[in-house]
Amino acid sequence: MQRIGDEPVYEVFARRVDGEPLRHVGSVAAPGDALARVYARSIYDEESWIELYVVPRRAVIPVESVRTEAVDAHA
Amino acid sequence: MSTPLLDRAAALPRETVPPLVDLVTALADNKHALGLRYGEWCSSGPTIEAGVAATAMAQDELGHARVLYGLLEELPGAPRRSEHEWAAGDARTVAFVDRPFPSWSHLIVANLLVDQALTLVLETALGSRYLPLRQRTRKLIEEEQFHAVHGQGWLLQLAAEGPRVRSVLDAIIREAWADAVCWFGPDRGGALAPLVAVGVLREAGDAVRRRFLRQIGPLLRDAGLASLLRADGDGWVPAEALPWAEWDESRRRMRRG
Repeated sequence: MQRIGDEPVYEVFARRVDGEPLRHVGSVAAPGDALARVYARSIYDEESWIELYVVPRRAVIPVESVRTEAVDAHA
Repeated sequence: MSTPLLDRAAALPRETVPPLVDLVTALADNKHALGLRYGEWCSSGPTIEAGVAATAMAQDELGHARVLYGLLEELPGAPRRSEHEWAAGDARTVAFVDRPFPSWSHLIVANLLVDQALTLVLETALGSRYLPLRQRTRKLIEEEQFHAVHGQGWLLQLAAEGPRVRSVLDAIIREAWADAVCWFGPDRGGALAPLVAVGVLREAGDAVRRRFLRQIGPLLRDAGLASLLRADGDGWVPAEALPWAEWDESRRRMRRG
């Protein structure tokens, strides 16, 4: 469990209508998946999404980036 | 043959109206007070996300109170209530939500104990024979699922801060404990028993308390905060006898405080 203020970041993705690509709408910091869901619902509920997801930022694997060190870390 | 629905207040058996008025008044007043208390932390939570979540829960609770006050308008003999005319002195709230929470930990304990006790009572009305209550319950319960996750997640996070924080949390839980655990009524429900008898509520008293304790028992154990309850077979029971002599059935709170 992280100390308060040091929580990992979750990226938030949403889809407005069927057929529309899932798009990145923001991020939240939370100590775990459960609170990340609560926070995403609280912060990103301004639109009537048909789907809303959170993904731990650490699970997003860089493929290309102008910041090569980010890619190299996963190579 | 299924039991017919009671589609309006006039269809309720006479003896069920006073306890239903008392229950709905207490549910609504506690939710209104919780909404105010959560809202007081909207810009001062420990993180931005926590403050926004407190704001969202405040909106939910104030909305739930408004829905329940609407239900009161249909019941004969109900006190006049409106979210615009909040009179704290007359409110049927538990002592824990009467005053602003002095710390974020107080908010989390209220979230976990008071908020969830109210939710479990509302859940007993999901299939209510009294249609106006049944129609209002489902959406409230759906929104409360997020409140439960919030309280559980934060309790574990706070408890992990160390023994000093756990000691503070334990003391705060003791403040809210009796009101929360007694909220379901004594034995078979006390004043709520007539509502169970005619199907306005599915159950009350010990049956609901057992579900509440089964919900929070493992969480409090994992947080190192289970001093007030103990495992008993496949469930949990209070570690000490509940103070029923101090319980005010009509106001649904302890007489002290």
